[in-house]
Amino acid sequence: MSKIPIIIAREFSSRVKKKSFIITTILLPLVMVAMIVIPVYVMSQQDKECTIYVLDDNDYFINRFTNTDKLHFEYPGGELESLKQRCVRGECDAVLHILGGSQSNQANLFFEEEPPLSLKGKVEEQMDKIIFDKTLTDSFHIDLQKYEIIKQTSQSSVATIQIDADGKERASLMELNRFVGIICGVLIYFFVFMYANQVMRSAIEEKSNRIIEIIISSVKPFEFMMGKIVGVALVGILQFALQIGIVFVLLVGIQFCLPSSFTETTVTASEVATTAPGAADTMAIQNSTLFSDISSYYSFPFTTLIICFFVYFLLGYLIYASLYAGLGSATDNETDSNQFVLPISLPLIFTIMAITMESSPQSGLIRCLSIIPFTSPIAMLYRIPSGVPVWELALSLILLFSTFLLCVWISAKIYRVGLLMYGKKVTWKELWRWIRM
Amino acid sequence: MKLIDVQKVTKKFSGNTALDELSFSIPQGCIFGLLGPNGAGKSTLIRILTHITMPDSGQVIFQGHPLQASDVANIGYLPEERGLYKKMKVSEQVIYLARLRGMSKDEATVKLQHWFEKFEISSWWNRRVEELSKGMQQKIQFIVTVVHHPDFLIFDEPFSGFDPINAETLKKEIIQLKQEGATIILSTHNMASVEEICDEIALINHGKLVLNGEINEVRRRFKRNQFHIQIEGTQVTDISLPDGFDLIKKQIRGTDVSLTLQQQDGATSKQLLQYFNDKYTITSFNEILPSMNDVFIQNVK
Repeated sequence: MSKIPIIIAREFSSRVKKKSFIITTILLPLVMVAMIVIPVYVMSQQDKECTIYVLDDNDYFINRFTNTDKLHFEYPGGELESLKQRCVRGECDAVLHILGGSQSNQANLFFEEEPPLSLKGKVEEQMDKIIFDKTLTDSFHIDLQKYEIIKQTSQSSVATIQIDADGKERASLMELNRFVGIICGVLIYFFVFMYANQVMRSAIEEKSNRIIEIIISSVKPFEFMMGKIVGVALVGILQFALQIGIVFVLLVGIQFCLPSSFTETTVTASEVATTAPGAADTMAIQNSTLFSDISSYYSFPFTTLIICFFVYFLLGYLIYASLYAGLGSATDNETDSNQFVLPISLPLIFTIMAITMESSPQSGLIRCLSIIPFTSPIAMLYRIPSGVPVWELALSLILLFSTFLLCVWISAKIYRVGLLMYGKKVTWKELWRWIRM
Repeated sequence: MKLIDVQKVTKKFSGNTALDELSFSIPQGCIFGLLGPNGAGKSTLIRILTHITMPDSGQVIFQGHPLQASDVANIGYLPEERGLYKKMKVSEQVIYLARLRGMSKDEATVKLQHWFEKFEISSWWNRRVEELSKGMQQKIQFIVTVVHHPDFLIFDEPFSGFDPINAETLKKEIIQLKQEGATIILSTHNMASVEEICDEIALINHGKLVLNGEINEVRRRFKRNQFHIQIEGTQVTDISLPDGFDLIKKQIRGTDVSLTLQQQDGATSKQLLQYFNDKYTITSFNEILPSMNDVFIQNVK
């Protein structure tokens, strides 16, 4: 009877029972949710009501500012110094002093208590509009109403729609795709390293505390290595599933518990984050056509993404875990193992850099990386939200799977020899000799 | 009846020959001392016997068939470098290792309880290994070795790290295992314990067999024909010796005189005994056999 299940059970239960497992399982989702929620919360807090006293040396801007829910402009007149003192007494939140003469497009904003960050931008926006309108009427003698009509009729809107061979169409929000792609790529990178490292650490531990000698006098090194790798993989899947669950529950909880105005900001804020890499769609947000585009969120290739995430995570993990197990067994301590770990980790690090710098998921570089094993778990996940031809996906998976088999075979050879090798600094040349043995 | 037959086993590591056509056999039901200086190839041989590594050529016959993976269920191995999972509970750990040796969980639990009661350590059941002292860990390691009731046991330096009391307990346990029918390999540098409990020995050096056989027979091979005789009466000052014997050492021990004599060629111990018996009262007489320590040093130099 194979003893692999016994080994898997121990590797799994000894890790799941650890305090560190429970802590990271709960802490990581909390940090992630906090990273989403806190900036939004801070932004929503900034939208408090503000009263601004306006003083214009040319008197042109008087009564021309537009009041909004959160922003009240008042024109009390008088000396700048007295207005400043009234501000200090708390009558208003800020004093806007627009300079006179030829400097009429320049102003100073005085305040005692620091106003919301967005205030400066909002004031500038309004001043721009007032100066723009003034220039239109005064210098070019254009009627403002006519201008508004021209502006509205000339406004265009482009929707992005992806089509496939079957003639199916789906609305595609390119920035969102890219954002999801990067998140998935980074997650895969993170999980592959985290769990592969666990495998390596425990291989080193067993070797250095010599229990390995008892174990491999009972089971074949290959069985033990596979049992360990699978056991840790199950821990990873469980932990990941729990974390997804916790994040989901937390987000849903926040949506229900907090006032609706807050959740609205949540959506906008996350969309702002989405568009950050491109930055070209800021117009789209302003025109609020975005909210119609969000429907494409639901035509997202969710099933494909989730399946691919698991398959690529699993294969990527298996490749790295088996290599790490082999290398761990070849060294006596973690410091020594670094010389081997860094070179084989470079492809992943390079891919992470490539997807964060290269803007298009369809570029030649990203396409190549998504086919090459080692780099494909990250690069392909980056591409999947934007759609990937089936043959490329198949080719990438076949290559990845073959690499996995090759890596396990190589590692088993290194593992078998390395476990019993003590007190010797192993070199790449030596590893190569073990593989050929 | 042979339990193990090592046949022309050779093992090389990158040009360095660890074992060179080594052949010997281990009879069933004995304690077999595996001796040799550091680097002689003992560890390599043990790893082959425990099926951890394979010989490059030659084979090991175990209970009449070539050693195979399924035999590990019948082998117990106490490595020289002890090691256990530090964070794991003692009971879980022993049961896990016993299951890897092919025992069922329930069977292992019952056996383990038996051993814990025997060593009076039942209170350790739920403790973690790292909470135990070194001596306690050694006991656990011993239980790991024997819990699956193997026919063949290998103890590599079993006494290191034990205090004299625990070493004595361990010695008794090893002898009891032999009485229950197990065959035991004892690999150690502690020659006193070899003399005390081993039935047979094999001495290897540079991967080759130097000496092999029943322990007293091996010691007799290196005897220097010296005798030790003790007679009553300290007042005897001038002791005459029979022809063919020279006095090496004379010592007064309480009311007795103890003599160490060298026998020359042609003389016999019978003559010595008769001569002394006529003149004095003999309280003890024995042939001086070289200690295993001497045999070891003489053969390894």
